[in-house]
Amino acid sequence: MSEVAPRAEKVELAELRDAIRAEYGAVAIDPEAGYHFNAGRELPATLGYKREWLDGIPEESIAALVGTGNPFALGALKPGENVIDMGCGGGIDSLIAAKMVCPTGKVIGVDMIPEMLDRARAAAVKTGLSNVEFIDGVAESLPVPDGWADVVISNGVLNLLPDKVAGIQDMYRALKPTGRLQIADITVSRAVPDAAKLDLDLWTG
Amino acid sequence: MTAGLVDFEITWKENIYAGAPPESNAEDYGTLGINFHARKPVNEAEWTAALQALSCDAPQAWAEVN
Repeated sequence: MSEVAPRAEKVELAELRDAIRAEYGAVAIDPEAGYHFNAGRELPATLGYKREWLDGIPEESIAALVGTGNPFALGALKPGENVIDMGCGGGIDSLIAAKMVCPTGKVIGVDMIPEMLDRARAAAVKTGLSNVEFIDGVAESLPVPDGWADVVISNGVLNLLPDKVAGIQDMYRALKPTGRLQIADITVSRAVPDAAKLDLDLWTG
Repeated sequence: MTAGLVDFEITWKENIYAGAPPESNAEDYGTLGINFHARKPVNEAEWTAALQALSCDAPQAWAEVN
């Protein structure tokens, strides 16, 4: 009699990352295609982004926003501050932050989706901002030294991490003492069944 | 607190999935968009004081989160 393989108890990280890359890579290529979440040019206004924040931000960054809230509603970023944008996508929040903290502050946008990084980098060139950089990386291992950041922002990314504590712990590592998290994400009011947690489609959309 | 942060607060909640095509998965779980903030304490004493003010399970020592 052949043995039945034990049922997986949690989603595999590599598999989940591949699924996220596929889904959000598609968003980067065509933000208006229609997804299980809101995306596209109308979303910033829906989330309360001020018009003046978007001045000078290229359309390709605005259109690729798939955020769930508004990190800037949690407090102004100040000139001179160092900021990490964890899961920067097409760069809209990084570029807004770069304007707020310039000229002496710096923004590092981190994402693991090549198509989003391409979009963000192209947009940054158009803005002429020199205090923003986009780096290929993952949330659980941010590419900055300990205590580098005054602020970590993120918009709709933490929910994609199977181990959210690990993600927040690395944000903690990256923050200076008294440094701030300003995060937009999602919450649920009904428990997600264990079987549903293995469904990659539910994770990504 | 588990990650060593203090001053956690959710400041905004809204159904951001209204009108998204389709909504059913989000509504199944009562999914809402939120904004929240938190802060890295200035030192261990601040974290310990915040921990003592909690009324739920959390790490008992600074070393557990550092």
